[in-house]
Amino acid sequence: MSMTRGFARQFPPLKVLTDEQVEEIHRGTLQVLWSTGVYIEHERALKLFEKNGCKVDYDHKRVRMPPALVEECIRQAPGCFPAPARDPQPTLMVGGTNLCLAVAPGHKTVDPETWEPREATRKENYDAVRILDALPTVHFFSPYTPYFGFRGVPSCMAMLESLAARIRNSTKFHCVGFSNDSEMFAIEMAQAVGIEILGTCAWAPPLALYHDAVESTYRFAEAGFCLRVITGQVMGGTAPASIAGAIVTNNAEALSGLVLAQLIRPGMRVLAKDFTAPMNMNSGAPAFGGIEIALHNAACNQVFQRYGVPLDNTTAYPNSKIPDYQCASEKAFRVFTAGLSGGNTLLFHGSVHGELTHHPIQAILDDDMAGMVGRFMQGVTVNEETLALDLIEQVGPVPGHFLNAAHTRKWWKLEQFLPQSADRLTYPEWLSSGKHSCIDNARQRMEAILSSHKPQPLTPSQEESIERVLEKARAHYLKQGLITSDEMGQYRESMKSPDYPYE
Amino acid sequence: MGAQAVEAGLDPADALAAMTDAIRVIGEGFRVGDLFLPDLVGGADALTAATPIIEEEIQRIGAKTETMGVVVIGTVYGDIHTIGKTMVATLLQAEGFTVHDIGINVTADEFVAGVRKHKPDILAMSALMTMTAPEQRKVVESLQAEGLRDSVKIMVGGGAITQEFADSIGADGYNPTAPGAAKLARTLMGR
Repeated sequence: MSMTRGFARQFPPLKVLTDEQVEEIHRGTLQVLWSTGVYIEHERALKLFEKNGCKVDYDHKRVRMPPALVEECIRQAPGCFPAPARDPQPTLMVGGTNLCLAVAPGHKTVDPETWEPREATRKENYDAVRILDALPTVHFFSPYTPYFGFRGVPSCMAMLESLAARIRNSTKFHCVGFSNDSEMFAIEMAQAVGIEILGTCAWAPPLALYHDAVESTYRFAEAGFCLRVITGQVMGGTAPASIAGAIVTNNAEALSGLVLAQLIRPGMRVLAKDFTAPMNMNSGAPAFGGIEIALHNAACNQVFQRYGVPLDNTTAYPNSKIPDYQCASEKAFRVFTAGLSGGNTLLFHGSVHGELTHHPIQAILDDDMAGMVGRFMQGVTVNEETLALDLIEQVGPVPGHFLNAAHTRKWWKLEQFLPQSADRLTYPEWLSSGKHSCIDNARQRMEAILSSHKPQPLTPSQEESIERVLEKARAHYLKQGLITSDEMGQYRESMKSPDYPYE
Repeated sequence: MGAQAVEAGLDPADALAAMTDAIRVIGEGFRVGDLFLPDLVGGADALTAATPIIEEEIQRIGAKTETMGVVVIGTVYGDIHTIGKTMVATLLQAEGFTVHDIGINVTADEFVAGVRKHKPDILAMSALMTMTAPEQRKVVESLQAEGLRDSVKIMVGGGAITQEFADSIGADGYNPTAPGAAKLARTLMGR
C-alpha cells in the first residue's frame, strides 16, 4: 500500500501557457491587488492588513496590498502539507505532484429509477458516507457531503450533522464550510474527537470577502488547522468573460485569502482554489460542464506551480441530470485535465448534476474513472525489466507468445487498472448474462458494499463528544431563533429511531 | 438616452412607454433564446439610467404614466447572490412594473423599511442558499409584526426555494425561473 493517499504524477505537467504568459498573469494580479484592491468586511482584519503595510480605506473597507507583501506571503505558505485523518495511514498529502480526489456534494439525492431529485433520509446520508469510505479513490470528504442536509434536520444544522455523519462513518479526512458560526462547533467537534479538519474561507466575487468568511479564517488559524480559500466566480457575471481576466480575478481573491491567513498565522497551511465557471447566458446559471473550466484550471495550475502553493481545481460538476454520456464526458475532461496539469485536489465523486444532486451509484462509477486517471498519472516505468528485451528475444516471432511468461504474470497486474463497474464482457457473455450496463454493475457494487463494509467505529467517548457538540449547537441555534420550536419538535422526532444516529 | 429624449422635446410619457416596449422586446428575445443575459442586462442598465431623467420631466410637465405595479426586490440577509435577483428585476421592468431593487444581503428590517418607503404592491425576495432560505420566513414575520403583511403580495424565489417552502412561510407566490417570476407578478396583480 502506498504511504500517502492521493495520486502522484510521475511526469512533467501539461503546460497551456508560456512562461511569459504566467508572468503576465502574475503581474496583472499584483496590479489588481495594489490598484483596485479588495473589499474586506472585518475591522480586525483591516487593522491587520494596515499594520503589515497595506493601504486601507476604512470607509469603503478596501484593502490595497503591496506586491512585496503578497510575494512574501506566497513564499511563507507551505507547498505541500499532510492533512491527517482519523485513520492517519496512509496520510493525505496536499500539494506537490499529488492529486487528491474528494466527494462532490449534492443538495439532494436522486431516485435511481427515475433520476428525479428528492431530499435524502438520515439513513441514506449515513449509508452514502459508508459507501464513500469504502471507495479507494475517494481520498477525502469536502464540506456538506454527500448531501447538504437530510430529512428532519433544520438548515442551520446541516453542516454540523453532515460532519458528524462523516466522522462517524468514515476514517478519511474531512473539510468543512461555514454558515451562522457553524465552523465554531465543527472545530470543537474535531478537537473533541482528536482529529484535524480543513476549514474554509469563501470569497464573494468579484473581490469581496464578507465578515463570516474572515471570522472562519481567524477561527481555523487559531485552532492550528489548515484552510482552503474558495473563490467561486462565473465568467461574464462575477468575473471577466475572458479566461485570462478570470484567472487574474481568481488569483487576486485566492492570494488575498492566502495573505490574510499568513498574516494571522505565518506558515499556515493553505489550499487555494480555482473555482470558475462560464455563465450560461441563457439562464445565468454556471455552465458547470464547460470545457473552459478545464482550460482555466490548467492555466491556474501553472500559475500556482510558479507560486509553489497547492491549488484545488474545485469540482467536476456535470450539467447532465443522469449518469449518461454527457455526465461521463464532462467529468472525464475535468479530472483528466487536473491529473495532467497538476491540480492538487478536485471534488469529484458522486455529483450527478451540478451541486444539486449526488448519488452513490454515480460515486461508484466515478471510482472507476478516478482509478483510470490515477493509473495514467503513474506514467510509464522504463527500466531493464520493463523493456523486456531478453523476453522479446526469447519469445521471438509467431508462433511465440507472452501469455505463459512469468514476466506477464507479474507485470500485467502492475500495468493494468481494472475497473469494477465498466462492462468489459464479450458480446456473447453480455447477451447471455442479462445485458447489464455499467450503471447496473455499479448498483450491484453498491449493494455489496452496503452489506459488507463496516467503517472503523469511534470510541464511546468520541461518540459521546460528537453528540455533546451537536446538542450544544442545537441549543445555540434554538436560542438564536434559527430553529423554530416546531422545527425542533420535528428534528427530535427524526432522532427517535433505535438506530439513531444511523437511521 | 433620457437626456436626449428630453432635449428633443419628445413627450416624456411616450418616451418612457417606448423604453418599456424596447425592454419587453429584449425580454421576449431572451425568453425564446434569441438574446442572452448580457443583452438583457445591457437593456436594463439603459432603462435604469434614462428613467429618472424622463420621470423628472413627466413630473415637471404634470403628465400621467401607467405602471403595472410597484415592486420592491432584494436578496435576503446572509446571501450575496445578485444575478438571479437582477434577472427577475429586469424582466419585471419588461412587464411594465416599477421596480425598486434594494440589493443583496438585505436584512428583515431593511425589507420592512423598503416596504414602508416605496409602498409596493409586491415584495420579491431571493435566496440561493439552503442556509439563507429561513431569512425569507423572518421577513414575512417582521412584516406581520409591523402590521404591513396585508399591504403587500409576497413572491419568493432562488435556488434554495421550493413551492413547499414558499407555502410554509405564507408567501403569495413562487416560481423557479426568472421569466416565470415575471409572469407570476402579473398574476398576483390580477392581470
